[in-house]
Amino acid sequence: MNGIKEKKHTNIQIPTTLANKIKKRIKGTEFASISSYVTYVLREILSDTEEKTEETFTKEDEEKVKKRLRALGYLD
Amino acid sequence: MKLDEKTNYIVSGLERSGTSMLMQILYTGDIEISFDNVRKPDDNNSRGYFELNGGKIINLIINGDFKFDEYRAKFIKITAYGLKFLPPGKYKIIYCERNIEEVLDSMEKMIGIKDRNRDDTKKSFIVLNNMIKKEMNNRKDTKILYIEYNEILLNPEKNIKKILNFLNLPYLNLDKMIEVVDKNLYRQRK
Repeated sequence: MNGIKEKKHTNIQIPTTLANKIKKRIKGTEFASISSYVTYVLREILSDTEEKTEETFTKEDEEKVKKRLRALGYLD
Repeated sequence: MKLDEKTNYIVSGLERSGTSMLMQILYTGDIEISFDNVRKPDDNNSRGYFELNGGKIINLIINGDFKFDEYRAKFIKITAYGLKFLPPGKYKIIYCERNIEEVLDSMEKMIGIKDRNRDDTKKSFIVLNNMIKKEMNNRKDTKILYIEYNEILLNPEKNIKKILNFLNLPYLNLDKMIEVVDKNLYRQRK
């Protein structure tokens, strides 16, 4: 039986000076650790990059959106 | 607090992106908003939807039946797709943006069924969001303020001040407005 578990996290390194800046920034916020803050920032950047598409809003896109809006009760 | 009598004010963004929370913040700040109780508060919006016509205002706008002149100097909620059909006028829009995966999760929870074509849905909503933002930025009759849902939860004071500055309103009710932001309602967090 394969006893190797799939890794859920990867360690990365950042300069200590940057880590200290982040520690100061997250004091008093709901971020419990430097890792949680860095994860949040990177997710936002990646999500933002994915969203910057210059694709046209096609009729097909419009139908998909309208279908969702009907299901959510925003359109008849 | 009084808004300009010649301007229509709109809270917008993709559905499930924090528009109801924004409306509640404005309401708590004694800023005039218009809504009805056709759609009652529920698990998806425990504090209410703050919308007109049971949420189906977009149908009225598409048909040219929505009387914008009767809603000047007050906020109404029109979600992003509805802005595509906004007639010429004078508008101030507060546009809420949220992590798209959180938006889609929230939509699925509200509908109660997993989206089997989630990637396609995601792409369509991203394109819609970008198109609407581009259109609104290019309109000469519209001023728009973008608020990030995730940011307002982390730093309500800073973002509510941005809203009040955008509306040229004083910070009289700032503390009450900040209290509206409840991190416990931040579900589908990514």
